[in-house]
Amino acid sequence: MYSFRTTGFNGYAVQYSPFFDSRLACAASANFGLVGNGRLYVLGLTPDGIVAEKWFDTQDGLFDCAWSENHENQIVVATGDGSVKLFDISLSDYPIQSWREHSREVFSANWNLVDKSTFCTSSWDGLIKIWSPVRPTSLSTLQPPGGQLSCTYAASYSPYNATMLASCSSDSFLRLWDPRAGGMPTNSVYAHNGAEILSLDWNKYRPEVLATSSVDRTIKIWDLRFLGNNSSSSASPVNELLGHEYAIRKIAWSPHAPELIMSASYDMTARVWIDSTALKQPSTTFSSGRQPARRPNAGLRSLWDKHTEFVVGCDWSLWGAEGWVCTVGWDEMVWVWDVRSAVVQ
Amino acid sequence: MDRLSNLASQLAPNDASAVSKLLEKHPDDVVIVGAYRSALTKGGKGGFKDTTAADILTAVLKGLIERTGVDPKYLGDVCVGNVLAPGSGVTEHRAACLAAGIPYSVPYISINRQCSSGLMSVDHIFKGIKTGDIDAGIGGGVESMSINFGPGSVSEFSDFLANHEEGKKCLIPMGVTSENVAEAYGVTRKMQDEFAADSYRKAEAAQKAGKFKEEIIPIKTKFIDPKTEQVSEIVVSEDDGIRPGVTPESLSKIRPAFKKDGTTHAGNASQISDGAAAVLLARRSFAQKQGWPIVGKFVDCAVVGVPPEVMGVGPAVAIPAVLERNGLTKDDVDIYEINEAFASQCLYSVLDCKIDPAKVNPNGGAIAFGHPLGCTGSRQIATLIQEFKQYNKKIGLTSMCIGTGMGAAAIITAE
Repeated sequence: MYSFRTTGFNGYAVQYSPFFDSRLACAASANFGLVGNGRLYVLGLTPDGIVAEKWFDTQDGLFDCAWSENHENQIVVATGDGSVKLFDISLSDYPIQSWREHSREVFSANWNLVDKSTFCTSSWDGLIKIWSPVRPTSLSTLQPPGGQLSCTYAASYSPYNATMLASCSSDSFLRLWDPRAGGMPTNSVYAHNGAEILSLDWNKYRPEVLATSSVDRTIKIWDLRFLGNNSSSSASPVNELLGHEYAIRKIAWSPHAPELIMSASYDMTARVWIDSTALKQPSTTFSSGRQPARRPNAGLRSLWDKHTEFVVGCDWSLWGAEGWVCTVGWDEMVWVWDVRSAVVQ
Repeated sequence: MDRLSNLASQLAPNDASAVSKLLEKHPDDVVIVGAYRSALTKGGKGGFKDTTAADILTAVLKGLIERTGVDPKYLGDVCVGNVLAPGSGVTEHRAACLAAGIPYSVPYISINRQCSSGLMSVDHIFKGIKTGDIDAGIGGGVESMSINFGPGSVSEFSDFLANHEEGKKCLIPMGVTSENVAEAYGVTRKMQDEFAADSYRKAEAAQKAGKFKEEIIPIKTKFIDPKTEQVSEIVVSEDDGIRPGVTPESLSKIRPAFKKDGTTHAGNASQISDGAAAVLLARRSFAQKQGWPIVGKFVDCAVVGVPPEVMGVGPAVAIPAVLERNGLTKDDVDIYEINEAFASQCLYSVLDCKIDPAKVNPNGGAIAFGHPLGCTGSRQIATLIQEFKQYNKKIGLTSMCIGTGMGAAAIITAE
């Protein structure tokens, strides 16, 4: 395990470079992101530990970052003042592009893994925006239906479909979008029974599976084939992972295994879980069949308890031995660790 | 400061996961359409002393069908718990169904797991609905301890069993198991008397406030005056075992019943009573289609085994079992209906599970108004459904110890 201290800044998000096995980006904010500056760290994994290769300061806090999928030096960041900024790490100090369209905190940024020329952001203004790094304005805006917009905490592209997005919001809805189909979600699921959904991630091996995590302390695994039609309140997840003691701030599926998912929580732990539904065919239960009660910590594989404050961001290394991950928290710590070394007996 | 309040709301106590899941409504839930009971009356003396179990059951089934407005032809099964009648009343209680207006096409089964029989019957219907075998059914329980209580209710043990080290434990009288629990776990006479007096106090207050009115179906029956031997017709609509003004001091004067230096006595053990109760269950989708009322949801029921000589600890094992299975903690439950077979075992179970005593039997229990063995499990559900409304609560748990060493516990929610 390796660590780095983001002194004076509390970590919000971390991501491995898709181009270099020894490079990480970390978005951080002063004063826990409540008020003050932000800082984007570019970290290098060296034989001597983790070093800051570069950093960029911003006026307001940073809540998320996403490496460009087609330019090895570019990173987009989500900023508290509503701006979206693109940095080139071969340059210094200033972003090469800054877009001001969101009216409130931008909370997530996600690069399109299929059509690598676009990325999306989501904001507390409720909106999801799709951008191209070479355009001065957003390409399109997706607005959830309903009058009072709730915070859209995350939006993320399908790793299989260049025009498919999922978003999750404080109104407890998981929404699916296809911008080609117009401005309305193609599906909406009341996924956490009223609790805010803070994070979502698409499974990298099962195109129809994604997970959501919530303030209700659960991770729910969804199969898009079983969601039913619009806002069916009776849609049931195919699996639920219980055990975190506080809100789950970030989840990420493993790039190496279809069943592994990592979570970062306000309970100061990061955990790795086995989604048992990945290991077998979906059971053909009776229509009136009873789902087995899900026990706390069923499926828990690894637990990381070195953080001493909220764990807010996490990511898997695409590189080398399967199982290296990075977590970042409000204790100003970036930890790089191996999930195989933290297995729960 | 939006960011701060946003964060605060994410950190606020949030009971969503297991609890909200419990309260979710799904078409395949098994819901309670109605749950009612007869009054419970003193064995050998009370209002039902001259009424057979089958007759009390007939009246309760009839009342249940009337009050819920359900056409009994839609029932897929009727299951009634009974402990003391020969064959658990399987013949006369089938007759009771027919007499109550349930058509012959609806099958009937008797069930007997001792004092949990009235809950097992409901669980039997629950499982039938869950597996899809039936859409709706009635689970109930009935006991006439006036007529059927006595040595005849247990078949004789063979010499082999009566001398078998483990087997013979099933012959230990219940009162002695209560003494065993009290002794093994240090439940003193004083604690038991205080617990018992509290049950009387709560029951008296509840009766005065009319809190049992909704759940009791008044029954017209005949009553033979013990002195004049005159037969009269009476309407039994109130529990007659609730003694007013019972205090720990008044209980402290009663002599122990099972052991010279024992702690269990007539005042801190359940009363011998007569009564019946019945619960109508259905799959939610079916109940909705028929336009039936929905007053609760039957979530899950767990049964466990414990040593026969301390059978009273059953709830202490069954309650955690059913809670864990559903991802709940003891504090998630709002109301516990735990049978007071004996103050010793009920109190021990409450203390062992660290349950807040204020949540237990808010309207009193079997010590105050009786424990007609086969009826109790269903009776507790009928009471729980009313308590949800009276105390504006959502999550209930009902539990009891079971003679020969078992415990049962079930989770029920309000709708």
